[in-house]
Amino acid sequence: MTAPTTLDPRTKLVMVLCLSSLAVFIRDIYVLVGVLLLSFLISVILKGNLFPAFKQMKRLLLLIVVVAVAQSLFAPAGRTIVALGTVPILTTGGLIQGAEFILRMAVIVVSATIVATSSYREIVQGLVQWKIPYEIAFMVSVAIRFLPMLIEEIKDVMLAIQLRGVELQKIPLRKRLRIYSYILTPIVIGTVIKAEKLAAAMETRAFRAYPQRTSYMILKMASIDYMLISFSMLAFISVVIVYYMWGI
Amino acid sequence: MNHYVELSNVSFSYPRSKRIIKNITLKLNRSQFTALVGPNGSGKTTLGKLAMGILKPSSGKVFICGKNSTEMTLGEIGKKIGYLFQNPQRQLFALTVAEDIAFSLEWNEHDKAETRRKVTNMLELFQLEHLRNSSPFNLSHGEKERLALAGIFVNHLDYFILDEPTMALDMERKQILSDILEKISSYGIGMLIISHDQDFVNQHADRIIKMSEGEIVYDSTNNLRP
Ligand SMILES: Nc1ncnc2c1ncn2[C@@H]1O[C@H](COP(=O)(O)OP(=O)(O)OP(=O)(O)O)[C@@H](O)[C@H]1O
Ligand SMILES: [Mg+2]
Repeated sequence: MTAPTTLDPRTKLVMVLCLSSLAVFIRDIYVLVGVLLLSFLISVILKGNLFPAFKQMKRLLLLIVVVAVAQSLFAPAGRTIVALGTVPILTTGGLIQGAEFILRMAVIVVSATIVATSSYREIVQGLVQWKIPYEIAFMVSVAIRFLPMLIEEIKDVMLAIQLRGVELQKIPLRKRLRIYSYILTPIVIGTVIKAEKLAAAMETRAFRAYPQRTSYMILKMASIDYMLISFSMLAFISVVIVYYMWGI
Repeated sequence: MNHYVELSNVSFSYPRSKRIIKNITLKLNRSQFTALVGPNGSGKTTLGKLAMGILKPSSGKVFICGKNSTEMTLGEIGKKIGYLFQNPQRQLFALTVAEDIAFSLEWNEHDKAETRRKVTNMLELFQLEHLRNSSPFNLSHGEKERLALAGIFVNHLDYFILDEPTMALDMERKQILSDILEKISSYGIGMLIISHDQDFVNQHADRIIKMSEGEIVYDSTNNLRP
């Protein structure tokens, strides 16, 4: 295979879009596993940074239990595995639902690592060359870039609140919601302040001063890009068709 | 028991980095004003966070009031030690200045009248009365620092860890903080102060600890306080 890391960012976007749409549409656990394996494979080939993704998924594993129990309690299906008197706590149906939920999340997390193998500058350029207005492409890239910062900030506020001697674990759920509202204030205000600063910085660099933009970077798709895009779309469409013809 | 915080053979490294703290054993005493000094990047803030239980040691143990820090929740630790971040912005989160100071009292079920009295006290002490209803986000850096200090001193705790509390303060405000710290430590309350301010350290400290590249290179206990 010719140096796969130099794939056009748009090719990656199409592949990721197909994979994550499949993850959302499909309700068959075996197909979902297949989609996940495929995402893994692509990410590995493109040298995606999977380590943080693994760590995130480890945390998700805890959720599987929660989802499985919730599903079993409110929509019991399949055989009952654990029951409290006559109330089913864990059913095979619930367990499968939980597993499917996690698989979907995993596909999305791994997909993100595929996109992240392109720099955000390349992604914006890719979108622009697809005739998406530069302003919108730019906003998308800003949003992507600020997300990790936002997560850091939420962690900081939680830390600060607890260090003031508030034991979250001991506060009843109803009152805890009020604590969580404290997280919103600095996040919203902080975001507005950051946006203002960014806007000022953009003004000083004459953002949108001229209607026409020139780019120093021009992306060109190679034949492998065209092939992969066609193949991804074809595979996506056929999976959907086959799946719905069999499924319903 | 005299040691408020005890670090025993503590090493620490951030994820995917080299060792920042190298096998430090240290006992911080209650009713002692300890200063932690050292060049940028020597690991002072990291050591402070380890002592506060915000970071957990990679190896070794940290005891806060005799209890292993890994077995304590942050809220529990917050009731024993007040902590000032190097960047005060990080610990402000309420809508107004007064609300921010009142936060810990409100959530630990103090009565309303007492809370109001204490908040007014703190506003006065740190010269923030005129900003009572302002948003903490629009304050100047020095004002933020004073507010963050007010928010932790409003709790009557037995120990405080302050990471560069004088950094953003002007001469006059620094003197006011000096007087406050002097008064607090005269009540027998202990403090670990991280500082680059030589005068400030010499003026107050009972004990000076010097760090360099993750190790303690000097530790004094002078009892020459006036
Ligand atoms: N979150 C982090 N992740 C990785 N490395 C870090 C992190 N925080 C600090 N470091 C590194 O750890 C070392 C010690 O940092 P620390 O903040 O403890 O120094 P300091 O003595 O407080 O410095 P200063 O006087 O500048 O405040 C530095 O080399 C710094 O780059
Ligand atoms: Mg520091």
